[in-house]
Amino acid sequence: MRVTRTDIEKVAALAELGVDDASAAELQRQLTRILDYVAQLSEVTDDATSAVDERAARLRRDVVDPDPLSRTPKEMAPAFKDGLFTVPRLGELDRGEDAP
Amino acid sequence: MSWEPVVGLEVHVQLLTATKMFCGCSSRFGDPPNTNVCPVCLGLPGALPVPNEQAVRLAVRAAFALGCTVHPRSIFARKNYFYPDLPKGYQISQFEEPLATDGKLEFVSAERGPITVRIKRLHLEEDAGKSFHDRVPGMTAVDFNRSGVPLIEIVSEPDLRSPAEARAYLTTLKQVLEYVEVSDCNMEEGSLRVDANLSIRPAGSSELRTRTEVKNMNSFSGVERALTAERERQIAATDRGEEIIQSTMLFDAASGEVRPMRSKEEAQDYRYFPEPDLPPLVLTGKWLAAERAGLPELPAAKRERFQERYALPAADAAVLSASRELGDYYERVVKAGVLPKDAANWVMNDLLALSPDGETLALAPARLVEVIGLVSGGKVSRQAARRVLGEMVGAPKDAALAVAERLGLLQVSDTGAIDGWVRETLEAHPAEVARYKAGETKLMGFLVGRVMKRSKGKADPKAVSAALTEALAR
Amino acid sequence: MTDFVRAAREAAKRLAACEAKGTHAFLAWSEAALVEQAERLAKNGASGPLAGEAVAVKDVIAESQFPTTCGSKILEGWRSPFEATAVRRLREAGALVAGKANCDEFAMGSSTEWSAYGPSRNPVDPTRVPGGSSGGSAAAVAAGAVTMALGSETGGSVRQPAAFCGIVGIKPTYGRVSRYGLVAFGSSLDQIGTLGKDVTSAARLLGVISGRDDRDATSLDRIPLGEPGPAPANLEGTVIGVPREYFPEGLHAGIRAASDRALARFKDLGAEVRDVSLPHTKYAVPTYYIVAPAEASSNLARYDGVRYGPRADGGLKDVRAVYRATRGHGFGPEVRRRILLGTYVLSAGYYDAYYRKAQRVREAIRADFARVFAQDVHALFTPTTPTPAFKFGEHTADPLAMYLSDVYVCTANLAGVPALSLPIGRDQGLPVGGQLIAAMEGEARIIRIAQALERAVDATAEVR
Repeated sequence: MRVTRTDIEKVAALAELGVDDASAAELQRQLTRILDYVAQLSEVTDDATSAVDERAARLRRDVVDPDPLSRTPKEMAPAFKDGLFTVPRLGELDRGEDAP
Repeated sequence: MSWEPVVGLEVHVQLLTATKMFCGCSSRFGDPPNTNVCPVCLGLPGALPVPNEQAVRLAVRAAFALGCTVHPRSIFARKNYFYPDLPKGYQISQFEEPLATDGKLEFVSAERGPITVRIKRLHLEEDAGKSFHDRVPGMTAVDFNRSGVPLIEIVSEPDLRSPAEARAYLTTLKQVLEYVEVSDCNMEEGSLRVDANLSIRPAGSSELRTRTEVKNMNSFSGVERALTAERERQIAATDRGEEIIQSTMLFDAASGEVRPMRSKEEAQDYRYFPEPDLPPLVLTGKWLAAERAGLPELPAAKRERFQERYALPAADAAVLSASRELGDYYERVVKAGVLPKDAANWVMNDLLALSPDGETLALAPARLVEVIGLVSGGKVSRQAARRVLGEMVGAPKDAALAVAERLGLLQVSDTGAIDGWVRETLEAHPAEVARYKAGETKLMGFLVGRVMKRSKGKADPKAVSAALTEALAR
Repeated sequence: MTDFVRAAREAAKRLAACEAKGTHAFLAWSEAALVEQAERLAKNGASGPLAGEAVAVKDVIAESQFPTTCGSKILEGWRSPFEATAVRRLREAGALVAGKANCDEFAMGSSTEWSAYGPSRNPVDPTRVPGGSSGGSAAAVAAGAVTMALGSETGGSVRQPAAFCGIVGIKPTYGRVSRYGLVAFGSSLDQIGTLGKDVTSAARLLGVISGRDDRDATSLDRIPLGEPGPAPANLEGTVIGVPREYFPEGLHAGIRAASDRALARFKDLGAEVRDVSLPHTKYAVPTYYIVAPAEASSNLARYDGVRYGPRADGGLKDVRAVYRATRGHGFGPEVRRRILLGTYVLSAGYYDAYYRKAQRVREAIRADFARVFAQDVHALFTPTTPTPAFKFGEHTADPLAMYLSDVYVCTANLAGVPALSLPIGRDQGLPVGGQLIAAMEGEARIIRIAQALERAVDATAEVR
């Protein structure tokens, strides 16, 4: 399964990882090799048709009981103003399919 | 070429729980920013989600109220994307195996009459934080109080055929969800949010063409306006021979226009996969049966029952069943002995006039019943009753009779006094009396009016009418 | 009544000696912090099964006195405002946190060579790796700085370094120990594990930290394991399964010799040794290297510089630029590789062929174990690693070669079953580990069997 330069750029964009030209070529090689290796799973024909998870989630009572923070948002934030976390402005309301 | 729009709606509704979906933080609206936060809803390294039992209960209730099939086993899934107010870089939602599917919402379309809109799915998810793009210059500022608040997402099939129908769908949906006390469905506060999908096709065809997504609508009327604008835009473009491109359009309430999102990257790939931090959500048959049995009477059922049991016209039944509170109020007035038709008029015309926001009903049912009694007993005129009611809102403990007396609105039914006014009136208007006796019976109104004036409005008009009729017959 | 402060000062001496040799087992520790904890414990009249014990804590586990960097620059200086449940429990048991142990970045690696703060050295042979990703924890125990340590496992990261360093490492049943406060790598695989100078030490620590936690929805509904029992006198009636897939033709001679010796000891103790098969074993590494990076790519999305941690700033014009710079610079090459790999196998068009398929093969691997244990096999015995500790730089050029060293350990993570590694001998001076695997919730069984073997085997003797 050959991984192309476009593939690298696409997944890097999805993962918000800056990948420079020098690394891109090597990553192409390495990922191709790894994906070729893991592709042997397609040989397996006797795997379960559907993996059924028998567990059931334990639910929590609707009672206010937060795990306390020993340091406040203001103390942990790289940038904070007027009670809010701040980041350089995004170009537009661009969160894909979700309303802001 | 005649075009028809094809519309589907995705509605996100915040659930009325005390705490968030996956942590014990308060989900209350309006607290100082970033004060209802914890490791979980801030996405700190090492934090883990645990689902809120009440959120599940409310979601199931909503699903049953919308006629859905509730699946005893459903799976949480991660929806992966980056945004400043999404702390984990993914939202915990549901994807391949949602909580509920195959529901419906019925209402009357102005264009098509009674219609049924199919609900494709209803699932649980968590809300993101709130981003402010204009608070701090050049920066996006984020409040994570809202991060993790429980939501249900309700997705309809594209069964709507006009912007007006979309609005009616939303109004009906809101009513149902309020009835089952799942959410307060307030678009202005953000507890109900809407995204729409719209495409057009030749009227009467059944094809589904390329659709656009419309976002940033902040009210039900905004939804109608936005969809109208987008429909027009697509029709105009198609008439010009242009192809409709799949895109996201943002509504601008100020101008009433829709415009494409400037920086739309290629379609998002959310890379959904089952949430490894949460085992499947499993609901027992017994629990589900109890929830379903515990549903209150829903709006449509109440409307029908009111029409049947109280012989009310459909329009009146609809008004009186607008909320559970109003419906219960009406029935208590009827139970106290007031005739259903009368009770309907009193509640719709008088009580609602005094309850401006329609939210809180201004007077207890017993008080209204008292005033109705005064009118039917002839103690107060129908008009005066309104003033009495208004006064009672501010003095809820005072008896209606006392209030009427204090306001000097008690009618005079004393026949002696009335006969006296009648006599004086007839003496003062001999010409009209003669014309009446000659056959102009509609002058009765005028004469009644003169008597009322003489009594300074205090006479009981029915008694006046009776006395006049008798006197004129002599 | 424990003299906490004295215990603290003695621990400090041992840590100093360990680090003075260049072991670099710790990323953060101080005598002052140890003494402060000791004073607090003394003041509260603390007691408990671990009273006065200094325990090293792997740096992917949230703890409040020192930074929790996960061996990464992206969390440089990050002081967690909450502690992991496992850390709270060891404090409640009277233990002191000795310091934060070095590890491969975000637990991704098998040697600590991927730590952004430099590798740790194997105390037995400082030219060789201590294993990973819990290499710092293993080195700290092997060097005698501490007698027990917390590590974490996703694909063998406690057992493999335990084997390389000649100590004991236990991976519990998935869900046995709360993951609340364990920085997530592969959520469906991750477990906090314990390392100790002997089976009893590792088991005691596990006993304290295990048990249901309402803050972790995947934690088993069980009470804590508690103190281990005494070592059994023999293993009469115990059936040890030997899966043939773990003993291939070309197996390293020293590993084979050590394993043969251990099997002979089992027989001497009265156990029955039986040949079994786990036919899907060869698919474990490829399955693991789809599932773990996929989950990691999602778990590491939160490191975006918005709410905490260092942020790449310098006049970046929009938030996406901040993401890319923060993450591009903050993550090391192995982490970036796995994020990209994970993103790829989850992406549209590839999800079915890779991730969905891998989860199905995983079920087949789980079923292999279940089938064998259903046939009255009490535990499986296998080598822990295909070779003893390798030299620095031997595998860093070829990621795949590094991944293949996890072949014997990642099966237990995929299946969720408990597993333990204990030292069973030396090959040319290098420690060799033997692995015991039991059915789900079978920790007590493998601890018992390991205790018996430990007594019967000279772990420092040359095997060939």
